[in-house]
Amino acid sequence: MRNTVKYSELIATSWLVISCAAFGQSSVGPNYEDILNGFSDPTRWLTYSGDYSGRRHSPLTQITPDNIGDLRSIWTFQSGTTTRGRGWEGTPLLDDGVLYVTGSNNYAWALDARTGRPFWEYRRNLPDDLTYGASAPVNRGFGMLGNQLFMVTLDAHLMSFDRRTGEVLWDRELADYQIGYSATLAPLILDNKVIVGISGGEYQTRGFIDAFDPVSGERIWRFNTIPGPGEPGSETWPNDPTILAQGGGGTWMNGSFDPDLNLIYWGVGNPNPDYYDENRPGDNLYTDSIVALDADSGELRWHYQFTPHDVNDWDSNHMPVLANIEWEGQPRRVVMVGNRNGFFYVLDRVTGEFLLGEPFTATTWAREIGEDGRPVVVNDGSLGCLPDPWGSTNFYPPTFFPGLDLFILTARETCATYVPEEPADTRGQSNFGGTVFIDAEAGYGALRALDVHTGQLEWEFRYPSPTFGGVMSTASGLVFAGDHEGNFMAFNAESGENLWHYQTGSRIWGAAAITYMLDGLQYVMIPSGTTLTAFALKSPN
Amino acid sequence: MGFKNKVAISKHALRLAFTDKLSWLLFAWLLGAQWTYGQELNPLEGDPRAARVGGSIFRAQCATCHGADAKGIDSIDAPDLTLVYAGTGTSDESVFDKIRNGVPGSIMPAHTFPDTEIWMLVSYLRSIGVSGISSAVDGNPDLGRTLFSNNCAACHRKGNEGGALGPNLSKITEVRSLEALISSIRNPSFSISRGYKPVSITTSDSQQIQGVIKREDAFSIQIMDTNQFLRAFSKMSLKGLEYEEQSWMPVFSESLLSDTELRNIISFLQSSL
Repeated sequence: MRNTVKYSELIATSWLVISCAAFGQSSVGPNYEDILNGFSDPTRWLTYSGDYSGRRHSPLTQITPDNIGDLRSIWTFQSGTTTRGRGWEGTPLLDDGVLYVTGSNNYAWALDARTGRPFWEYRRNLPDDLTYGASAPVNRGFGMLGNQLFMVTLDAHLMSFDRRTGEVLWDRELADYQIGYSATLAPLILDNKVIVGISGGEYQTRGFIDAFDPVSGERIWRFNTIPGPGEPGSETWPNDPTILAQGGGGTWMNGSFDPDLNLIYWGVGNPNPDYYDENRPGDNLYTDSIVALDADSGELRWHYQFTPHDVNDWDSNHMPVLANIEWEGQPRRVVMVGNRNGFFYVLDRVTGEFLLGEPFTATTWAREIGEDGRPVVVNDGSLGCLPDPWGSTNFYPPTFFPGLDLFILTARETCATYVPEEPADTRGQSNFGGTVFIDAEAGYGALRALDVHTGQLEWEFRYPSPTFGGVMSTASGLVFAGDHEGNFMAFNAESGENLWHYQTGSRIWGAAAITYMLDGLQYVMIPSGTTLTAFALKSPN
Repeated sequence: MGFKNKVAISKHALRLAFTDKLSWLLFAWLLGAQWTYGQELNPLEGDPRAARVGGSIFRAQCATCHGADAKGIDSIDAPDLTLVYAGTGTSDESVFDKIRNGVPGSIMPAHTFPDTEIWMLVSYLRSIGVSGISSAVDGNPDLGRTLFSNNCAACHRKGNEGGALGPNLSKITEVRSLEALISSIRNPSFSISRGYKPVSITTSDSQQIQGVIKREDAFSIQIMDTNQFLRAFSKMSLKGLEYEEQSWMPVFSESLLSDTELRNIISFLQSSL
């Protein structure tokens, strides 16, 4: 009897030990070091661009120019939610075989990366009087740290979820959506910080970049993109607190990060009103600029303004692309931007020094950047049409191909005439300040590869209409891109030759591909319309 | 009038005042007392000032997606609003509701404008809506029917009869002016609508095919050939692909179709025959 009891106790104790050991192995999720290591673990995609550099260039080589003809769809996932007129703009994150995906109207899912089957679904209950500060009910993805996910919302909140269940951990208001604030980007996760920006530059808002504590959800710092009265940069505005308080400067696209310099690089949007400028003489800093912020304090280290005193809605909300390249015989740490104003820029990312600015479309607005780093404007619109408000490119990600030193982006050739008009005082309503006539017959799109040392066009592939698809590249010499007609395509990175295409059935808008390894198979994935499609080779070996 | 409506109209009045439209202020205030949300008729109907201010609101709030000319932007699925009322039986109330509530799942948002401003937008859309031919054209519809059968029906449809290479003309007189219709018949290449742009194709086996482009992308083209078969081609497989400037529709000059005959055809298109 005694022995029996002991045996039972032994069994119970053993179970407890085994259980604890099993629980002890429960997932803790990726930490900052893991995100910092970027592509070193190819079974993961932990941040919007795959790593902090914004290059969206994967080292994977299973899919090559030689075998891409065998690429086929493996599974699809149907979101059941859409943004008619736009698209599915998110980048999925991947860890431990699970994809974390956001969709239109603040839906979100955890999906099995091998089959596309969902583990959980989340849908935010959005207010009935939602303003459209983001112009469309889209979202560009999660941020991930440990067992937490982070998502911004159309009513301008930042939320944290338990990634295992989809349960909400905390929910913080970024700004008042009723004024026109909104949020759509994928949060940038640093060491114990969640960095987010805000939409609403078409409304009477003032842009900002925020850092939050991931655990407590408390705000750590805020950088206002429009200076307050008397602050540096306010001299580029009228001396009027009201105008400064509603000067626009949204920060609605993700930024990139240099851990060595501890600097965040982020694009800033248009001044408000977009087209009407009578009440805002001056350069209107920091609109249409890139800002480099200290990650710890949010303090501005440097800025560069692409379009001083913008009257064409040429937001500079682009993914800043970081690379270390040889520049005039010396190694240089640069940041590159393909801008809505039609120019490709290379800046020193330590100092912000202007290194190169060359047009990549046929824009007649300006054809050169002067020695002072300012565009030499030769056509304010009175001498012919200009790129439309969606610009010569837009927020959708470009890619940088190291070795070839090519910056590859989707370009838009368009023709628009701007007619400014004094806007009404419409708080909570969009406030463009005029209208735009667009010649729909004149537009087309193109995938263009630029030599980063000269900005010169190395190759292009044309699309029938202006396109909003993003770009990704792989070390095997491939470039993946999407177009407005719904094609998901692969190109030879060196020559631009089209090697493969797949008609997804809906335009690819705002999204760029991701790629990863699972079970020895390289996957490529693209969202389009309401469908997320995973591709892999038929016979990888 | 409820307090909420009073507040809304007060805000609206301030906005108009800000935009130098003081003359309109009192008018709007007085009208505001006379209606409530959800009514079926536009209380501003017939007042040209409403359409004028509505145009101003449209340019500020709607033109980015629907175009400065309200004719829509294909690439973002924003529809041509000049056709909202054309031959559709659309009511002012349904247009009001669409602006108020938006189109769920699209980039068309709900709007919190005061009722007054939405009715002004409705007035504006009424004012720019294409109205077609307002009075009966002086012609003989019976003779027109024969002319239509002999000259047009191979490619165009009216009612249940006719071809599909060209646009369906069953309701064309409701959405095109007399001048525009005459111009389309006398000079068909002057303006060719999307979906009917002419193309010539040479296939890999040197077959010559003519048709109109329905859709195309970087790799393929979808057409209706002149025999009205839907056909699609891989661009890579083609020997030739020419985007034509001249419509396949013949030029009906006066020697082929007199002014009287032309009026007879249009009279037939207007008729219920």
